[in-house]
Order: sequence, then C-alpha cells, then structure tokens
Amino acid sequence: MDVKLPQLAEGVESGTVVNILVSEGQEVEKDQPIMELETQKAVGSIPSPQAGIVIKIHVREGMEVSVGQVLISIDNEQSTAPAAAQATARAVGGASRPPPAEAATHRQPAPGVQSPEQFDDSYRYQSKSGVAPPAAPSIRKIANDLGIDLSRIKGSETGGRIVLQDLRAYIQQLQEIATQGKPATVEKAGTAQAPKEAVDFSRWGPIRREKMSSVRRTVSQRMVQSWTTIPKIDQFDEADITGLLAFRKKYASAYEKKKAHLTLTPFVLKAVAGALKKHPRANASLDETANEIVFKDYTHIGVAVDSDAGLIVPVVRDVDKKNLVDLARELNELTEKTRQRKITVDELQGGTFTLSNQGSVGGSYFTPIIYAPQVAILGTGRGAPKAVVLRGKITIRTRLPLCLSYDHRVLDGADAVRFLRDIVAGLESFPEGDVRLK
Amino acid sequence: MEPIKCEIVVLGAGPGGYTAAFYAADRGKKVTLVEQNARLGGICLNSGCIPSKALLHATAIFREAQASASRGIEFDKPKIDFPKLRAWKDNILEKLGGGIAGLAEKRGVQIIQGRGHFEDSQTLRVETAEGQKFVNYEHAIIAVGSKPAMPSAFDLGNKRIMTSTEALDLADIPAALLIVGAGYIGMELGTVYAALGSQVAVLEAMPSILPGVDPDLARPVSRFARKAFKEVRLNTKVSKMATAGKQIKVTMQTEKETREELYDGVLVSVGRAPNHGNLGLENTRVTKDDQGFIKCNAQQQTDDPKIFAIGDINGGALLAHRASKEARIAVDVILGEQNAFANIVIPAVVYTDPEVAWCGLTESEAKQKGIEVKVAKFLWGASGRALTLDRPDGLTKLIIEPETERILGVGIVGVGAGELISEGVLAVEMGATAMDLAHCVHPHPTLSETLMEAAEGFYGTATHTLTRKET
Repeated sequence: MDVKLPQLAEGVESGTVVNILVSEGQEVEKDQPIMELETQKAVGSIPSPQAGIVIKIHVREGMEVSVGQVLISIDNEQSTAPAAAQATARAVGGASRPPPAEAATHRQPAPGVQSPEQFDDSYRYQSKSGVAPPAAPSIRKIANDLGIDLSRIKGSETGGRIVLQDLRAYIQQLQEIATQGKPATVEKAGTAQAPKEAVDFSRWGPIRREKMSSVRRTVSQRMVQSWTTIPKIDQFDEADITGLLAFRKKYASAYEKKKAHLTLTPFVLKAVAGALKKHPRANASLDETANEIVFKDYTHIGVAVDSDAGLIVPVVRDVDKKNLVDLARELNELTEKTRQRKITVDELQGGTFTLSNQGSVGGSYFTPIIYAPQVAILGTGRGAPKAVVLRGKITIRTRLPLCLSYDHRVLDGADAVRFLRDIVAGLESFPEGDVRLK
Repeated sequence: MEPIKCEIVVLGAGPGGYTAAFYAADRGKKVTLVEQNARLGGICLNSGCIPSKALLHATAIFREAQASASRGIEFDKPKIDFPKLRAWKDNILEKLGGGIAGLAEKRGVQIIQGRGHFEDSQTLRVETAEGQKFVNYEHAIIAVGSKPAMPSAFDLGNKRIMTSTEALDLADIPAALLIVGAGYIGMELGTVYAALGSQVAVLEAMPSILPGVDPDLARPVSRFARKAFKEVRLNTKVSKMATAGKQIKVTMQTEKETREELYDGVLVSVGRAPNHGNLGLENTRVTKDDQGFIKCNAQQQTDDPKIFAIGDINGGALLAHRASKEARIAVDVILGEQNAFANIVIPAVVYTDPEVAWCGLTESEAKQKGIEVKVAKFLWGASGRALTLDRPDGLTKLIIEPETERILGVGIVGVGAGELISEGVLAVEMGATAMDLAHCVHPHPTLSETLMEAAEGFYGTATHTLTRKET
C-alpha cells in the first residue's frame, strides 16, 4: 500500500519532511513513526498505518509534501483499501474530516490572487540548463528594482514565461500576507529582510556554531509572533499546596499500582479545567478577521514538555471529563512519547489553554509567553515551604508560585484575577474524593 | 591650476565610453570625457568595426560580379582607385566621429583631448597639448579598450608586419599576404585583401578556423575561404619572422614539419590585449588579472569603490555592444539604482562571407557544460529567398531546452546573418519558446523565415523541409 500524507489539521495542507525514520527494506510495525514532518504549526511524526516492509520511500528530507502525496510504499499481504482509508482516518484524528483525496480537490488554486492561507511560497523555478526563469527584460528590470526574486514566481505564459500580471499577483499576495499576518510566513518574510549584520564572535575567543533544529526554529517563530502581536499582562499569585502534597504522598503508591505516576501536574490540570469552566473567556480565542471571540465547549490543555529536541507542547484532551488517575497516566504517556519524538502532529494541536510547569526543574516566578491562538497560559514554579500567617499564627506551609499571562484583548484584569483566584481555590481545596481511587 | 570638477569622468571615448558619458549626462550628471585621439569613437569607429565593415562592403561587389556571370550577367574586370576607396572609408569615420562630438556638445559633456593618468582615487591627470589638466571626480569609468596583440617575436618594427589597425589603412596591397590567426579579424581582413588581389594564406594554430564557433556554422565560411584564399593551414604555428629584403621570412611549424616561406606582407591577428599601460592604476585600488584585464564585479565596480570599468579593458567577449551595455549598468549603479550584468544576451557577428552570427547558448557551449539541449536546424538550401539570392550556403539553428521548449540560443550562418540574429536575441531575452517563434508569421520570401521554419522543424511541421527534428 501507498502511505499518503494525511490531512494534518485544519488549514495545514503541506509540510516539510524533517527526518525519515525508516529505510527501504525495513520492517515496520503499525503505528511506528515513519517520518517527522514540520508544518506551519508544529513538528510531529507520521505513524505507519500498517505493519509491513518498506518497499519504497518516495520523499526526501527537506522536501515539501502536501496532503495526499505518497510518502512511502509498504508491502503488507493483508493490505486492503479499507485498511488504508481507516489508517488515514485514524491519523487524521477523527473520521469527521474529509479524506485526503477530497481535501486535495479543495486546493485547486484560484485564479489571480490566492488567499493568504492558500498562498504557497515554496515554488522555485528550476532549469536543467541552469538558466534564469523566462521573463522579458522589462519584467526582469522591474523585479530587480523591487528586489523580487523571479524564480519564486510561476509564469503563466507559454513555457512558464513570467509576465507583468504574474509579477503583480505575486506582489499582491505578499502584500496580503504582510497586512493580514500569517504565522507561517513570519520566517519567510523575515528572511526577505535585509540580513542582520553578522557579529564576528570569534574575535573574542573560540566559538562553535550549531544549526537551529526545526523544533527550535518553530518555537522561535511562534514566540516572536506571540510576543510581537499579543498585548500581554502577567498576574502573579500563590497557592497553598500543603494539602495536595499530603494527598500525593498518601495515594502515590496506589497510583503506581495503576501504572500512573502521580505528580503535581494532574492536580493543576484539574484545578485549571474547573476554573476554565467558570471563566469561558480564558478558554476562548480571538478571531481578528471576523472581530469575534470564539468560545470552545471543550477543555484541551497543552502541557509544555522539556525534551531533548526542545520545547514541545502535547495536548491533553477533555481534561474536565477525565479523572485524576487517567490524567496522570495520559500525562506520563504523552511525556514519554514526546521525549521519544513519537508524538504525532495531531497530538500537538487543538489546545485551548497551556500549562507550563517548571516545578520539577526548580525556580520560582516566571512570566510565560502565550501560545497563540490561545488567550492565556499558566506558569507554575516549584512549591516551597514558607512561613505564612494562618489563623493568626505563623506556620510553615508549602506555597506554589503562579503566574497567569493573558491576552488583554480578550481578558481584562478583573476577569484574570478572578480566574486565577479560582485556580488557587481549586488547588487549595482539592476534594480528596477526586484523588481517591474508586 | 584649479582642477576641473565633475561628477563622473569617463576615460576613453569608444562605444563603451561615449555611451557611458552620454547616458550619465542624460541622467543629469556632470560628465567629463577624456580621449587621447582627436576623433572620438575609439577602436570600433577608427580602426575596428566600422572601417572593416566599410571595406568588406566595398569589396563584396568583386565576388558578386564574378558570381553574376553564371546568372548571365557579366562585367568587365573592375578597376580599383585606392585613394578614392580610402577617402570614402575615411569620410564615414569622419562623419561618425564628428557626430559623436556633436552629440557630446549638445549634452554638455565636456571633452578633454589627452592621455589620462590616475593620481589617486579622486583625481585624474590629463596630459593635453596645452599641458597638464587635473580632473577631480566623484566616480570614474575606465573604458580604455584593447589593442591588437603583437607577440614580441613578431614585433620587428617592419611595416610589412601589420596588425588590423595598419591593415585597415590600405597602405599597400601585398601580393602574397600571410594572415596569422583565423579568428574573426583574420578571416574578415583576409576576405577584404583577397578581393583586392592579394594571394592570401591563413594560418591557424587550432584545428579549425573561427575557433569557438560551432563547427556547423564555421563550415560554410571554411568552404568560402578554401576557394577565395590561396590556402588555409590549420594546426600550424608561426615560430619566427625575419626581414628578408622586401619580404618577410616566416618560419612555421606543424606537428610534422618546419617550413620557411617568404611573404610580401603579414597580418598578425592573434587576439587583443588590454590598453592598461601607464594609466596610473597603481595609485588607486583597482586590480588586474594576470592578463592585465581590470577585475570588476557584475555592477562593473573595480576593487576601488570610486572607479568602474567597462568594455574590452575587463576582458571577456571584446565587443562594442557589450561595452555599451556595461556602460549603462555602470551609470545606473553610480546613480544608486539596481543593475548588474546578469542574464544578458550578447550577440556576436562575424562579417565573413557568408556571415556568422549567434546569441545565447551555443551548441558547443551546451556540450562543453553538459547541458542537455535539442537543436532544430533549417538548411538554407530549402529557402526560396536564399536561392533567389544565389546563396544557399546557410544554416539557421535553434538551441532549445527540451522540457520547456524554451529557446536558449540561436546560431545562423549565411548572407546577412548579422541582421537576422537580433530576432534571436529578442526570442532568448523574452524567454520565447520554439512554439512562440513558429507562431509568428514571417514575410515570404525572406531569410528571416528560416528562423520560423527552424522552429516549425522542431515540431516536425516545417513547410519546406521534411521532418528534420534534431541532430
């Protein structure tokens, strides 16, 4: 069977092959990651839909692939068409989305200017003879004056000759993107700018250079995008988690028997999910083009994971509907998969809120950056014993430093404080009944 | 003395220099043009393109008259009035040179006659008849061109050993003329002297005449030369020349033997050398390559940021029209505009009989660089117009990129090829495909049709030939 690139997510039609994890002739198991793909949104792995032997790899690392394109061919004797369809549907993350073939037909380029979402800047003119793309001298002059690289433009005339209309359409598309803002093109637009003056660090001592990994680049782009476009406020607070720690100590071994490692994170997830239910704006997104706020009836919380490859944020679905033991177990699995780079693109998407817990590493307060298009993120530091006044007496309690960073376009200060207070309350009065195993 | 101040000084008033000066003046710059000769126009006008083409035209009638006999029209033996021929040629040069001076004056370009010498990166000293003058400039454009190369072994100070410069003066028509070097200059002047009565022998060190030209384009010229010249000797080198009374004793070597022969005159046409001597470049940051050509980038900038260089002085294809193109690029860059010598098609024409012309990628170059191309040819034997001109000795070919059918180059040999090639330049510059050319209606009967028919032939649908798709 041919393994095709499944529909990855809404609006994601293509990606770049970062790593091919199998080789021709290799035996693969069902769900074994076959390659890693970098899309506009994230880096994730593509699982094999079937067990079998890889007979051909159709793509190369660094290649741009689009939905429906054949990635590899697998020889499996029981290969049947429904299996392929099923596999695709599974990789897609639900049967409700259109199958790749159908999705592909929606991609027919509209004549003239495409919408920024459709705009594909991956085209490069290539000639075996090594000549420049065909265009009249007058067109080349205009392009040269404007600093436009003609090899990025597909010519519409015979032999792919670029005419003024093609140049105009291309420039208009660039303009659309510049004015509407599209995260994916941030990097590309960035490279078009005049290169920053290079600093020669070796003047002051020996240096070493390392290529930015694709994860690093993605993180870098998204952080710049968030930092430069979202008016952010940071709200600090502290939660008394002495009680939670006691629960944790009391139930940890019981959880271990259920193959769930109980950390503080599931507690925080539960408390946050509860607060999000009460404050739906913190679970919303801003649709700037429509000037609307999008409220979500689901609560999917992303959890930042520190992996060898860099920061990756897998998403725990429906946190509000899951019990503590399931959450603990799922978190363990997701973290493990992330660290082994087996996480799929689908598992990195759809988050409505993010938790960045640095407690296991240490540290106190920090101000996280919002993971757009979400509107808020909670950063938690390490719980530490502190002398606090409780009922008129100084006692030692474990206090958890919290920082809620939020998008002021959606949440106002009072909303945010109320939301954060509810998180604190959720942590401080966590019902033991929710911890106890049934 | 107060130095002359200008924004741009141009050194050399050949086709590169005067184009640069005029274009800069048209764009509002204060320009000074320095030229050592009284008549402007450089080598091209004074001792290159223009006089050679005048003489080629004037003498073509000999061959035409001869050929005419077979068409039933005969002439008496022609008489040549050399002073009149020279005067006619010189009159053309005078007219063109005067025209350039007039255009300079109307544009407000200041002309200084004298030899320029760089004092530093802002100052040019000019040695004029009235003494030294200093020009203080913001930018300089060096366009001093090239001169015929004369290997020191041949440089005996004997006026019977000529370069193209002397040969074009027509001082004497040697009975036995040896031409050393069968490049375009040697072949063109050989054609002139053969018509004027010299017994011409051409020597070439390479295995073919017109080295570098596609063999199929050179072949008709080779056929002509073997008929019109006494001899064409390939793979032969001159090792020595010596004065022998009123003759020159030439020692030549082939792979097999060494020969000594006597000639009444020798034309040395073994290439051209840069005119870089005594320019004072050592006082600037300008650098040269090991052949003495000035190094510059695609913006025509030398290693000295104030100084640009255009034309023959930079080496490469020594062609007037290339210099003129570079002139505009240099001025644009000085004006702060985006321009560079990149992806520019420079056509070349050899004014032999028949003429050879090409532009863009040649078949030899494609082979050499391993570029896969398809070649569509049209032989002039099938052209009605060529037959009415009694000149079926021609070939038109298109070099085509197979995947896109884009025309990458055009090569033509045949009478008037030089006038035909510009359509090829347009096609290559516009990125036209063979289909584009096939779809353009060409008037019948003309030689220009051969371009259309070559394109049609690529698709196997040329009217006047059977499918001759590629070679």
